[in-house]
Amino acid sequence: MRKFLPNLLAIMLFACVSQAQDFQFGKFTLDELQQKTYKNDTSAHAYVIDEFGSTKIDVSASDHISMTYKYHVKIKILDSKAFNKGTVEIPLYDNDNTTDEIDDIKAVTNYIDDNGGAQTAELSPSKIYRVTENKYWKQVKFALPNLRNGCIIEYSYTKTIPGFYRFPSWEFQSDIPKIHSQYEVHIPAYWNYSASIRGILKLTTNTAEVERECFSSHGAKCDCSYLRYGINDIPAFIEEDYMTASKNFISAVYFDLQEWINPYTNVKQRETKEWKDIDYNLKHSDYFGSQIKKNLLSPYIAPVIAGKTTEMEKAEAVYSYIKKNIKWNEIYAKYSDNVRKALDTHTGDVADINLALVAALNSAGIKTEAVLLSTRSNGLVNRLYPVEREFNYVIAKANIGNDYYLLDATDPLLPFGMLPLKCINDQGRVMSFDEPSYWIDLVNRQKKVSTNSLSVTLEPNGKLKGTMVVYSMGYEGYQKRKAIKKFNTIDEYVENLDEKLGKVKILKYSFDNLDSLEKPLGETYEVEIDAYDNLNHDRLSFNPILFDRIVNNPFKLQERNYPVDWGMPSIERYTITMRLPDNYTVESAPESASIGLPNNGGKFLTQFSNTDNVFTYSNIIQFDKSVYEPEEYPYVKELFNKIIASEKAKIVFKKKS
Amino acid sequence: MRSLFCCLLLAFCSLLAKAQDNYAVDLIPKELLPYASAVIRNQTTTVEVKDAGNTFYHIQKAITVLNSNGDDMARIVLFYDKANAIKNIKGTIYNEFGKPTGKFSEREFSDESAINGFSLYEDSRVKVYSPANGSYPYTIAYEYDIKSKQTLIVNDWEPNSQPGMAVEKSSYTFICKPDFTIRYKEINMPTKMVTGITKEGLKTYTWQANNIKALRNEPFSPPAETSLSRVKIAPKDFTYAGIKGSYSNWNDLGRWIYDNLLNGRQQLLPETVEQVKQLTKGITDDKEKARILYEYMQKKTRYISVQVGIGGFQPYSATEVDRLNYGDCKGLVNYTQALFNTAGITSWYCVVEAGSNKKISMLNDFASMDQGNHIILCLPFKNDTTFLECTSQKIPFGFLSGFTDDRTVLACTPQGGKLMHTPKYTATQNTQSRKAEFTLDATGNLTGDMQTVYSGTQYDNVEELVDEPFTEEVKTLQKMYSNISNMEINKIDLKQSKKPMPVSIENIKFKAAEFASADNGKLYFSLNPLNRLRPVKDVRNRINPVYINRGFTDEDEITYTLPAGYRLDTEPVRRNLSTPFGKFKASMTFADGKITYKRQIEIKDGTYTKDSYAELVDFYQKVADSDNYTVSLIKN
Repeated sequence: MRKFLPNLLAIMLFACVSQAQDFQFGKFTLDELQQKTYKNDTSAHAYVIDEFGSTKIDVSASDHISMTYKYHVKIKILDSKAFNKGTVEIPLYDNDNTTDEIDDIKAVTNYIDDNGGAQTAELSPSKIYRVTENKYWKQVKFALPNLRNGCIIEYSYTKTIPGFYRFPSWEFQSDIPKIHSQYEVHIPAYWNYSASIRGILKLTTNTAEVERECFSSHGAKCDCSYLRYGINDIPAFIEEDYMTASKNFISAVYFDLQEWINPYTNVKQRETKEWKDIDYNLKHSDYFGSQIKKNLLSPYIAPVIAGKTTEMEKAEAVYSYIKKNIKWNEIYAKYSDNVRKALDTHTGDVADINLALVAALNSAGIKTEAVLLSTRSNGLVNRLYPVEREFNYVIAKANIGNDYYLLDATDPLLPFGMLPLKCINDQGRVMSFDEPSYWIDLVNRQKKVSTNSLSVTLEPNGKLKGTMVVYSMGYEGYQKRKAIKKFNTIDEYVENLDEKLGKVKILKYSFDNLDSLEKPLGETYEVEIDAYDNLNHDRLSFNPILFDRIVNNPFKLQERNYPVDWGMPSIERYTITMRLPDNYTVESAPESASIGLPNNGGKFLTQFSNTDNVFTYSNIIQFDKSVYEPEEYPYVKELFNKIIASEKAKIVFKKKS
Repeated sequence: MRSLFCCLLLAFCSLLAKAQDNYAVDLIPKELLPYASAVIRNQTTTVEVKDAGNTFYHIQKAITVLNSNGDDMARIVLFYDKANAIKNIKGTIYNEFGKPTGKFSEREFSDESAINGFSLYEDSRVKVYSPANGSYPYTIAYEYDIKSKQTLIVNDWEPNSQPGMAVEKSSYTFICKPDFTIRYKEINMPTKMVTGITKEGLKTYTWQANNIKALRNEPFSPPAETSLSRVKIAPKDFTYAGIKGSYSNWNDLGRWIYDNLLNGRQQLLPETVEQVKQLTKGITDDKEKARILYEYMQKKTRYISVQVGIGGFQPYSATEVDRLNYGDCKGLVNYTQALFNTAGITSWYCVVEAGSNKKISMLNDFASMDQGNHIILCLPFKNDTTFLECTSQKIPFGFLSGFTDDRTVLACTPQGGKLMHTPKYTATQNTQSRKAEFTLDATGNLTGDMQTVYSGTQYDNVEELVDEPFTEEVKTLQKMYSNISNMEINKIDLKQSKKPMPVSIENIKFKAAEFASADNGKLYFSLNPLNRLRPVKDVRNRINPVYINRGFTDEDEITYTLPAGYRLDTEPVRRNLSTPFGKFKASMTFADGKITYKRQIEIKDGTYTKDSYAELVDFYQKVADSDNYTVSLIKN
């Protein structure tokens, strides 16, 4: 599924160097204009006829090293569903020190007018808008004029990106198919990047050549490597449900700076060549290493751990303290400028909070490391060689005794040692500053477990009366607590539950361990259920699944190409014991079901037993794996079919004659 | 009378002084706490019109956040643009006991573009501050000014705008010169307005609202616009973007819009004028001409929102739309009007508050510029007034859909503004009627063939399917009919008839493995897998009346051909319900190895008393029970 082909740059010597391969702007054929469908994908609403991009490292007008990124695309719009392709938004990074610039925006629409003649409409410069989105980003936006079914839009622009760190990557694949897409880079020998290619599509063009003395600045001169990547006949990338980030699967090429030589001083600087370089940089950086230094937060932590003796007690106290004292501002980050400020202002991003946690735990004498990771929506990280920018999140790893705990303090409801689902994404990198950094599996040790037991009596008035006890453990407990905390009080939660349950009236309730996050959350309800209007029937049928009956199969696709990823194993148990009036007895019971997934991957079981006028029905739905591969998909889908079928079956009881 | 007035004023002043001093949480009246995540302790809003082009707002607000749900309610979100500037923001954070623990100012605010998801460009921006504190409860108290260079729109005053928030005290004062004329409208205001004179001799109008309990989100509630307290103010004479104007009623306002924002912007390119002539040549009926030109416009343009120009109120000129072939609602309506003008057909530019979930009308008795968020076009044919939605490439001529139906709109004509009402789509017109032939085999597999006809506002139900490839249609249909697991669709046929009361017809053939489940020699299946009503949540101590926005009628008829040798093992379902807001009828018959299931439901739009909510819950529950009926078959 995921494939990272290392494509290390070999600089080969070629005598003759071909020039840039951009296609000519404003040229199209009548045939292209008259196409009504795309032959390789008749379901497409639009397709890219040609797309070309290039990046060149050069010296800018202001005499700084910068990257010049050119983009040029020609898109055939088959019908109005693809008119959104005619609205273009180009993001530009913009902060105090560095600002991307954009120039040479050209855009035209070629179309056939009402009289059958080919026409060209150009974008007027006054219709290009610049918007400051926030502190870091600007956007340039425009809409192509005169779109109509069958038109061809074409636009190009040049973006100047200061420096050489944010080297533009290239996605060959998008939501529409492409006939051809090509990316070329010109990299002076002073800089050394590693290129990695993702996705399953094969490159149709993949060449490396040398350009003689293509870079020159203040007497410094060097050759460039000129690399071309191209793919023909690229299918559209279609997203499917229950999939992790699409970035994991899209065909693309990424560039990462390995090392560079300062052209003026000839000093060599290594970048992300090896983990030990990253380890060194982070350890000595103001935004990482300095923020998690031992004793940084000692004055804050001393009162928190006062009187605590064991490491575990101390760790738990510090974790609660950080959770309570810094509120997450919903921003993801891996570096922090000032964890102390976050503690003082009670607000911060992920890095502020979790680096503060690392520092605080270290201040409390617990050996704790920071773990860099990439969240589920951010995609998987490349593990062949280090790429720092692929991480977008940081958590803490507290080492206590012979064990360790992964901690995220951004949500006050997370128990000690549990990660939110978004963080459970393959592996994270532990930045241990005493020893080399290393990979660690991002998993929750706790499963998602719930048990629901009902014990009811059928009363002569047709109502069921009894108690319902629900236990939520592991991740289920976390989710339940989150749902409860949406309400101002428990009373309001129960009131809402009662109102939602319709036929079920909650007469009394009690909760256990609501605030003891590490323990199972218990809910006990005394309930009265409107089952029947009366008992003046000889036979009564009863569906034992009173709540949350599964009626829809979440899986609809015949087959799927991506894994089903739930993040963690789960177990749901349900039991109902029912006492019938003395003059009733069970006439027929549902068949017991017992279905398993291959390789002990999970199961669905039901059981029924009765003695005269008391019966017990129970079922269990268990998924023992977090991820099910595409080969296992049909079995998972079928298991749901069986659950749905089984949960339709009824118990029939009758009056004793 | 006079003495009472003085008392009120005195009481008001003393309360104000006291409240400002102490934000201790235990001073909040206990009756304000239920359902509240935050409480506005004290808010004073002062609006002073210094002169026609200069309005000054001063807002002071203290809000106590009781728990984490209240953080969002205390967020400070300030919009600004070229005409409205924010100044002098400062605030203090207090702990539970009312002791100050920190300060904040404009530096702590983030500054972002306020562009809507659907706009390419807008002038407006927003400053945001999200408060945070280590523990709850806490209070933030802050103040800021807005300097506005216009007097056309005065911000409404809403003392309590959202569920979950209670208000201890809130007041609103409008200050102007004694000869400055305003009109005002009080909506659901519990107290009366009080006028006064400042020591500088300016006139004041003051409203006060105290001890408002927190509202809950109640399903089937009328729109907040009509149910919450609110004061609207409209000055008679105003300045807007340098243009002066005056209005006292809808007629004046409509005329001002026509004269200043629309008139003279309808020039078309010569080739388009020629095109109009060609298209309408030989056609005599104006409505037919209009239909042809409307479809020409639909084919030629697309909707893109660009909010610039006079406060976002002035359309792109027709020439510009002609060149670009795109525009926002204003630009496209104005352009369509220009096409109609060229063909000699009169049409009116109409301001409307659009939205499918609620129908908001222009207030009959109160004209103001802030009502309405969308533009449609009216063709005032004699006895055949037709309204057109101009921002969709697909919508049928003369059909408004649920987006702008059944509400009062302002038509801006050369003779002035006119209130008009858009057509209503009634419960009997919004129909979905389905006939299905299902065949079940002994292993539980189903083969189905069904036709569904959608009309009125339900015409849009299949909009997602239109012009999509087969594979996408299949995915969408599987979601639409999600109660049929393993649905394998082999044939889809979709037809649309684009009349003013449009009709969509969907025909599908499919198979579904294991539709019925075999258990202990019995076969179980859901009788109604196609169209189910979900039960609605009960609400105790309801405050709002019951409001149903739009009515509809659904009819389903399913014939099941059963496998040979089976008979019914359950009592057939039979339900007949009739309530003021809806009717439901379901029946099931078994004969000749076939089950015939018929279901008919009608939900009537309207407003019903809050006490009828229990009956509504009961109705929905009974319908849902009937819809969930499981057939069990047993072998003979």
